Amino acid sequence: MARTHPNGPRPTHMTAGRIGLYAFLVIAALFFLLPLYAMIVTSLKTMDEIRLGRIFALPETLDISAWITAWSGACMGTVCVGIRTGFWNSFAITVPSVALSVFIGAVNGYALSLWRPRGASVLFGLLMAGGLIPYQIFLYPMVRAMANIDLYNSLAGIILVHVIFGLPLVTLLFRNYFVSVPEELCKAARVDGAGFWRIFFEIMLPMAVPMIVVVSMLQFTGIWNDFLLGLVFAGRDNLPMTVQLNNIVNTTMGERTYNVNMAATILTAIVPLAIYFLSGRWFVRGIAAGAVKG
Amino acid sequence: MNKKMKLFLAGVALVATLAPVHAEDKPTIEIMSSWTSGGESAALNVIKTEFEKRGGVWKDSSIAGFGAADAAFQNRIVAGDAPGAKQGVIGLAAADFVNQSLMNPIADVAAAGKWADALPKSIYDLISYNGEVYLAPTGAHGESWVFYSKQAFEKAGIAEEPKSWDEFFAGLDKLKAAGIVPVAWGGQPWQQTKVFNMILLSRVGIDGFLKIYVDKDKSEASVEGVKKTLEILGKLRGYVDDGAAGRNWNDATAMVITGKAGVQFMGDWAKGEFTVAGKEAGKDYGCMITPESPGMVYIADSIWFPKTANAETDNAQKLLAEVVMDPAVQLEFSLKKGSVPMRSDVDKSKLDVCARKGLELMTAGNIVPDQAIVLTPQQVGLLDDFVDEYWSSGSQDAVSGAENFFSIFE
Amino acid sequence: MHTTRKRNFSATFALLPTWFAAIVVYIGTMVWSIRLSFTDSTLFPSSNYVGFAQYVKLFSSAKWLASLHNVLIFGVLYVGGCLVLGFLLAAALDRKIRFENAFRTIFLYPYAMSFVVTGLIWQWMLNPTLGIQASVRSLGWETFVLDWVVNRNMAIYALVLAGIWQGAGLVMVIALAGMRGIEAEQWKAARIDGIPVWRIYVSIILPQLGPALAAAGMLLAMGVIKTYDIVVAMTNGGPGNSTEVPAKFIMDNLFGRQNLGLATAGATVLVLSVIIAVAPFRYAMYMRNRPKGAA
Repeated sequence: MARTHPNGPRPTHMTAGRIGLYAFLVIAALFFLLPLYAMIVTSLKTMDEIRLGRIFALPETLDISAWITAWSGACMGTVCVGIRTGFWNSFAITVPSVALSVFIGAVNGYALSLWRPRGASVLFGLLMAGGLIPYQIFLYPMVRAMANIDLYNSLAGIILVHVIFGLPLVTLLFRNYFVSVPEELCKAARVDGAGFWRIFFEIMLPMAVPMIVVVSMLQFTGIWNDFLLGLVFAGRDNLPMTVQLNNIVNTTMGERTYNVNMAATILTAIVPLAIYFLSGRWFVRGIAAGAVKG
Repeated sequence: MNKKMKLFLAGVALVATLAPVHAEDKPTIEIMSSWTSGGESAALNVIKTEFEKRGGVWKDSSIAGFGAADAAFQNRIVAGDAPGAKQGVIGLAAADFVNQSLMNPIADVAAAGKWADALPKSIYDLISYNGEVYLAPTGAHGESWVFYSKQAFEKAGIAEEPKSWDEFFAGLDKLKAAGIVPVAWGGQPWQQTKVFNMILLSRVGIDGFLKIYVDKDKSEASVEGVKKTLEILGKLRGYVDDGAAGRNWNDATAMVITGKAGVQFMGDWAKGEFTVAGKEAGKDYGCMITPESPGMVYIADSIWFPKTANAETDNAQKLLAEVVMDPAVQLEFSLKKGSVPMRSDVDKSKLDVCARKGLELMTAGNIVPDQAIVLTPQQVGLLDDFVDEYWSSGSQDAVSGAENFFSIFE
Repeated sequence: MHTTRKRNFSATFALLPTWFAAIVVYIGTMVWSIRLSFTDSTLFPSSNYVGFAQYVKLFSSAKWLASLHNVLIFGVLYVGGCLVLGFLLAAALDRKIRFENAFRTIFLYPYAMSFVVTGLIWQWMLNPTLGIQASVRSLGWETFVLDWVVNRNMAIYALVLAGIWQGAGLVMVIALAGMRGIEAEQWKAARIDGIPVWRIYVSIILPQLGPALAAAGMLLAMGVIKTYDIVVAMTNGGPGNSTEVPAKFIMDNLFGRQNLGLATAGATVLVLSVIIAVAPFRYAMYMRNRPKGAA
């Protein structure tokens, strides 16, 4: 509780305004939690109970077999090992992709907003336009290109693809964050003789911690949840968890086991969820403010 | 083929030859299928087990969902890294791949196994392109089925299966009066198109159906048939519940299983849901062919064999083709998947009552192909659009609807 | 002068990988797909040029026209809804709230969930015979209606609702990160002047968050253009064409319908219209920011 240092007055007692504030938050929380509630109760029901179609009803008996099946027993094709097989692949793809793209994005945002070399706005415009292309269109040419440089169906290949497709998003966020940094800060440092990289590493990066957290969270989620790129570029040995999730959930003519589907979905989301929860301490106000004053 | 295309394909072939060749003693094959649900997976396992028994090595690359599987497969081809086998429907969807020499024929296996004698002629023709056999059929699904809840029929006082559309609608009225949802409707385009086809077959007969879809015939009789079909389809709107739009077929099946709804129009894969719920065909639920229908619409799955520029894989492909068409495998596969075997010489006694009905129609040749077999993927999409638009707009104008129908062939 | 050039050299050098990606991948793909949109390519690229035939076909397709219309409605309501709700949530969390971490996670978690399945849950919840409507009616309110998913006129709002559910948390964290960067002195000054808290948020904080919120809006807009999963999972474009969207149209034609020419024509139209719509706005921003950036 005391980890955060919010601005404004410290409330000494519950005023009408505070009550209204909490009421708003609680109602909003209910809206956000309702689907999760439905998912969790569905995952704990048997299929016979699910067929009755009462989606908000509590399960008559708790049945966790769907969770076990989802994790270690669900079939995809002739292999029945659940979604756990993709777990480490997802990590191997996501962690380097996030680290690389966040670093490049921070450098880009910093260079584009505070240095503005020749062509900066052209590049930024290009990235934004690129970010608006439905990425399915990229598949054919990218597949050919990756095959030509021998990176198709490889871990390095899928990481490269994620970094490239992440560029518009990360660049945009960092650029708009650094734009609001006081110009004087950069100027003063330059007068002191600091160069491009020194200002970046010693002043800008520490200052941008909340934004780095946000961008990493977004990139992590986006890449972790990506299905199509992983399916097309990663190759059989590196398929991410979402491909297994799709194999469990998606079917046209096969029977559906909704309880397993729900469990598998929640299991797939657990890592990003944990990151959201644990990132709390990085939202502490003061890190940024300190850097600005320094 | 134009020059650019040749260049493109040459590039594909070049990349393929550069791909590392795995030196393995046993015939190894990577198979891409979209069979991932319980019954499908078990059925695929039948083929795998036999393939391994005969010395093959099986690598599974299953991707669920037609869209995702197609995307993955097509991109593998573009990258020059085609898998050794791919599961797909027989018919025009494979034609483009064959015509661009991206697939291996399996004519010698077919000749040695006397496939021409074992398969219905229409199927044999559909797996052959330019006179050579390219696909190994796994099984067929009947798509002219009406599944009904015996419990609901009893409650509504329907004594026997309705034979005509008039009787059918009278039955639906009784179900409605008994407070039961008459039709468990899955309001997704592909499901609706299947219902459209079932009705169409009952209105125009087998020859009329083939005339429309194969010859793209727009004669008065064809237009009239489509019109009558749309009238029945339109009438069905009055018998579905509020929640029909966008519903998955298995949610609709669940309504029949629990007795909330009376009937469902669906392919025979719906039996899988009944079986999982512990219901038995002929006892808890019934299966009848669409009223007044002279036969059955079917869709057939097969294994495709893409070119891989790897002699080892070519051998594995031949072995796989043999295994797929093995009589015992055909039967066991269909039992697991709820489909109908392709070969007419299998032991019928093990099949359930619905599958037996289906196999009878099949061996008698009273079958017509699903649109996915005879239309290009593009036309299939337009047909889905057409039926969905008619259904969900609530249009009563079957006359101009029937006119519009034929624009999908343009 | 000499040092300026040297510094700018570092900046240019740092941007080189991005330049490379932008030119090779983004421009390359765009050129590739514009070229294909003038051919009759079906399953694989062909170079049989057919002029504007694909574009004629595109604009005579009711599905494509409906998808453009839908994505516009969806885009405006979704982006607007996420920005408003996200900012409100961030402001509320910034008020020294107990359990801030838990609330923040609750508001953000939908962003971590794959829409393949959460779309299904929303479909169930908004389905009149299964979800909220049925539950409320069983509690005694017999005339209650919430049938968005199956109602042709309301299905698009069902997508908006589910979209906001997923995206509002994103705006919230971006806004919160921005608020946490605002200096304590500004707060003290404002409080001393006796400005009420809500006025501080509207008049002082909101303008400072401008760039961050603009980035969030742009991010959501990029998502709008690519809207695909949510539609497939919830409505699959139906009932009728009422929730058809361009990315789905393109994806369907790219693979399922084996119509590469039409798909690339659709993508070209989509990107060009977005650039035309956004360019004047970007230009204005550029002109406004220019004096500041004269380094």
